[in-house]
Amino acid sequence: MNREKKGLDLKKIVSDHSALVSFLVLFLVAVAVKGTTFLQFNNIVNILRNNSIIGIIALGMTLIIITGGIDLSVGSQLAFLGVVVINVLVSTQNVFAALLAGIGAALAVGFLTGFITAKFRVPAFITTLGTMSIYRSIGQFWMNGGGITSNGDAGTAYIAISNTSLFGVIPMPIIVWMVCAIVIFLFAEHTAAGRHIYAVGSGEKAAKLAGVNVIRIKTMVYVIGSALILIATVVETSRLGSVNSASSGVSYEMDAIAAAVIGGTSMAGGKGTIVGTVLGTLTLGIIDNLMNLLGVNPFLVNAVKGTIIIVAVLLQTFLNRKSD
Amino acid sequence: MSEKVIQMTGMRKSFGMNEVLHGVDFTLEKGSIHALLGENGTGKSTLMNILAGVIPGNAGTVEIHEKQYSLDHSSVPVSKEIGFIHQELALVNDLNIFENLYLGRELKNGVRLRKKEMAEKTQEILASMDVTLSPYTMVRDLNASYKQVIEIARALLQEAEVIIMDEPTTALTNVEIERVFKLMRTLKKKGVSFIFISHKLNEVTEICDAYTIMRDGIVVSTGKVSEKVTEDFMARQMVGKTLNYDDLYLKRELKEEILRTEHLERSREFRDVNIHVRRGEIVGITGLLGDGRYEVANTIFGNHTPYDGKIYIHGQEVQMNRIQDALKRHISYLPRDRKENGIVKDMNIEENLTLSVMKDLKKAGIFLDHAKSREIVEEYVRKINIKLEKIEDNITSLSGGNQQKVILARTLSSNPELIILDNPTQGVDVGAKLEIYKLIQTLAAEGMSFLVLSGEAQEVLFLCDRIYVMFHGDVKAELDRKEASEEMIMIAATGGEVKRKEESL
Repeated sequence: MNREKKGLDLKKIVSDHSALVSFLVLFLVAVAVKGTTFLQFNNIVNILRNNSIIGIIALGMTLIIITGGIDLSVGSQLAFLGVVVINVLVSTQNVFAALLAGIGAALAVGFLTGFITAKFRVPAFITTLGTMSIYRSIGQFWMNGGGITSNGDAGTAYIAISNTSLFGVIPMPIIVWMVCAIVIFLFAEHTAAGRHIYAVGSGEKAAKLAGVNVIRIKTMVYVIGSALILIATVVETSRLGSVNSASSGVSYEMDAIAAAVIGGTSMAGGKGTIVGTVLGTLTLGIIDNLMNLLGVNPFLVNAVKGTIIIVAVLLQTFLNRKSD
Repeated sequence: MSEKVIQMTGMRKSFGMNEVLHGVDFTLEKGSIHALLGENGTGKSTLMNILAGVIPGNAGTVEIHEKQYSLDHSSVPVSKEIGFIHQELALVNDLNIFENLYLGRELKNGVRLRKKEMAEKTQEILASMDVTLSPYTMVRDLNASYKQVIEIARALLQEAEVIIMDEPTTALTNVEIERVFKLMRTLKKKGVSFIFISHKLNEVTEICDAYTIMRDGIVVSTGKVSEKVTEDFMARQMVGKTLNYDDLYLKRELKEEILRTEHLERSREFRDVNIHVRRGEIVGITGLLGDGRYEVANTIFGNHTPYDGKIYIHGQEVQMNRIQDALKRHISYLPRDRKENGIVKDMNIEENLTLSVMKDLKKAGIFLDHAKSREIVEEYVRKINIKLEKIEDNITSLSGGNQQKVILARTLSSNPELIILDNPTQGVDVGAKLEIYKLIQTLAAEGMSFLVLSGEAQEVLFLCDRIYVMFHGDVKAELDRKEASEEMIMIAATGGEVKRKEESL
């Protein structure tokens, strides 16, 4: 208890910022191995753009995990919301109407998951395991297992969303991701509701007795999560101008959870940061990119990714134990 | 019977630069129950951890059964003779009694467990303790006192001759405490010695033969328990001052009624509860475990719904369907079991303290006003004397008493008129306890009302103007401060009728 602090406590710094450490280590490895190619402006922009969708979804996933929950349905939600948006776009030829329909669907979807989980105390793993199948299935039924492509003037306008660049150099998906990250960061760190999310995850009973509306907070994180998934959906489907009810968003939940966990979010709830999750997403992105640059057999990429996820988390638990 | 089993001399121990034991002597005689007393952080646990070989000592000698160890930054070898029963019981609920007893040292033929033999041996030990339990009983089905008994049985199984018990009775009801005490007396006759760490001084006079009182890392008093060693004497030694029930009591003028319940009822939990609290009044509800006071308080706080009967606040009937309803009516609640219901362990002191009012600390309509939040924290740190380094430190870095003060500050921060205090001094040392009592008195004098729930008769006698005693969901007695005594409370709490001197009211 009477810990003395002499100069810099390196171990503490490392354990408090394990996400940054994982990121820097991989970044330096990438620079060392493929320095010039890796550091090229185009390559960096590529990494950021390719990971913006997972990056946006992972922000919501982080809040959900902090409350002690999980959302396995994010990939299915993306496909389902994509089907809604593109269908409305095609039939009304109005981008605004399409987005509005998407917002409505996202709020409904998020509220449903959140309310079932929070109010009836169904474990989030089970609720979202169920909704994962439901959304995917409804989307496929609607599209008869296939996809839909945007068309007409509205389609062109829609496609422009993801395919414009700020100052002609920074693609819109990256901008959207960063704006979302900043907003969610401010929300989590500097609003009462944000701090209540941490309180619910760390000590639900204590938070409840202190007057925090636990059901509202728990429902809220799923709604925010779905709102972010809608944004990711628009970024993804407007990049290609189409959505596939069967293949869009498959296994996104794994990447989003991995990004949050590498970023230092505790699966037990109560701990995690938005900055960490952004770094966690980038760490995953660098792994992908490096495998690609090195020409590693694509069938092996996931094995390497999986290993690095486990190593990163091992490092965190090890450091945490030491600093206690 | 003055054979010494343990003799510790000149024990010294430092953590970093901070010496916590300054040359402590401690002697335990065979077949005695020896109380080790002192406030939290006086070095009791450190001393016991050295004795049990959990941590090394810096200097001193330890003699266990004539085997002598000189400690020089070295540990006493962990010996079978000493069984250490920690405050938090280490039993596996989903295993039965004999499986728990043999956990980690199962009797086996190759890989096959010799279940029958283990069960028989367990039966023998239980019989020797005069306990009639089947070794096949699941630990989950035992109440807290039998769990304590099983812990002792486990220590006996490894042939422990000295059993260290760290606050064994905090989670037990009076009946259960008696059961554990009876067992201790039986074992004592068989030559087993106990070191009994406790905050409850009445237990010391009841069961212990000898005592040692520590304060700030030294022994201030030690000897045999006799008539001269009263609770008062021991309390004085522990804190360095004496205490009477009326010492802290401030005479107050009671004003209008704040809370009243009429025929409040929740099936099976409690029936026909009619209580009231006036402005500036401190009202206690006490009883044994299962008396229903916790359920009554949580119903008033909107945490247990639905209910029958009526709740009036300021004479107006209200529905308490959610905790938010109670908070809106300026009722707040200090929960029992700080670790589970009080602190938010991953958050810092500031966030823990402001949790109830966070949503009102806004600037620009959205963002948390950190300056205001700091201001509130600093105000309470001053007002109720919370000892801390930085308000950004994690809540768990504080001592139990200071954590409790932070939670108390949280309940105060929402500006309540009535505070329900559920076991307000649980796991808090004597010094902090007195500070909390004083604070409650001061606040009541300023016009705040309190409903104090406590299983300790002394606590309500110290604090309250009026005391309700409950038994199995019924309010058995309503006692005024002037007439109330520990005896009357005990009678009513066990279901008896309280006889007043003048029966006319």
